[in-house]
Amino acid sequence: MTPGEKLVNVVQGEYHISSEPDCVMSTVLGSCAAVCLTDPSQGIGGMNHFLLPHRAGRAEDVRYGAYSMELLINGMLKRGARKNRMVAKLFGGAKMLSHLRDIGDSNVAFAREFLQNEGIPIASESTGGNAARRIRFWPADGRVKQFVVPGAVERVAPPAPPPAPSVGEITLF
Amino acid sequence: MSLKDSLRIMVVDDMATSRGLITQALDEIGIKNYLTENDGQQALARLSANPVHLVLSDYNMPNMDGLGLLQAVRQNKATQRMGFILVTGKPTPDMVATAKKWGLNNMIKKPFTSIAMKQCIESVVGKL
Repeated sequence: MTPGEKLVNVVQGEYHISSEPDCVMSTVLGSCAAVCLTDPSQGIGGMNHFLLPHRAGRAEDVRYGAYSMELLINGMLKRGARKNRMVAKLFGGAKMLSHLRDIGDSNVAFAREFLQNEGIPIASESTGGNAARRIRFWPADGRVKQFVVPGAVERVAPPAPPPAPSVGEITLF
Repeated sequence: MSLKDSLRIMVVDDMATSRGLITQALDEIGIKNYLTENDGQQALARLSANPVHLVLSDYNMPNMDGLGLLQAVRQNKATQRMGFILVTGKPTPDMVATAKKWGLNNMIKKPFTSIAMKQCIESVVGKL
């Protein structure tokens, strides 16, 4: 990051769209997937971050991902992007825990199929594997930087806040 | 012939996958007679020529959104008596007020299950 850049964190279940050249979107992905979409000629881009809660092929499940993709694509269309100019980059879907079923894989498979159905090409992707990824995305020109986080486990929920200092236990006199 | 067999539905959604999710729910319910469109304007033109009993439309679409389509359907003599269900992720109070004004019959929140979709349709057209 260079000085003056504005970092936007895109957490699970959310999405963000921007056309500001100094906007940088960031997210950490374990088995979740993120799609970075850009319309290069319009200088606008957006990123989502989703997780299909169960296994692939279940309709109730695909709905979460479909909704996330829809918000991202339609949000960009509303701001002047055109679908036939959109280019996607796909990240995530790591297998984080070896004893669990591979939900990472189904998240990526879903994203690929959705993009294919909408006719949006995937310019590049980094998916699967066993390590978490930290992604930085510059929406205006579509650049992405990826940092692989070896051994890190995806944080599903924010850590619990530290216990409040126990006021009142201290007796002054 | 049951209502399931005679009911004609138009599904309008701009995203292929989302459209597929709606038609998949209709398949599971056992409704066979449905048309699909990926654009509000095109849907409107097709509805005037080929009337249906019920329109199932997404809200979030480019060009003409679900509320725009509802309004256009209600203003056209050939289509104004059709049932209309809006499929939406986040119904806002504004959206609900406008939808009521234009005589929306029901609303279903995404992501939905086939059972929820069946109940939603039944509340408009009767027991399937």
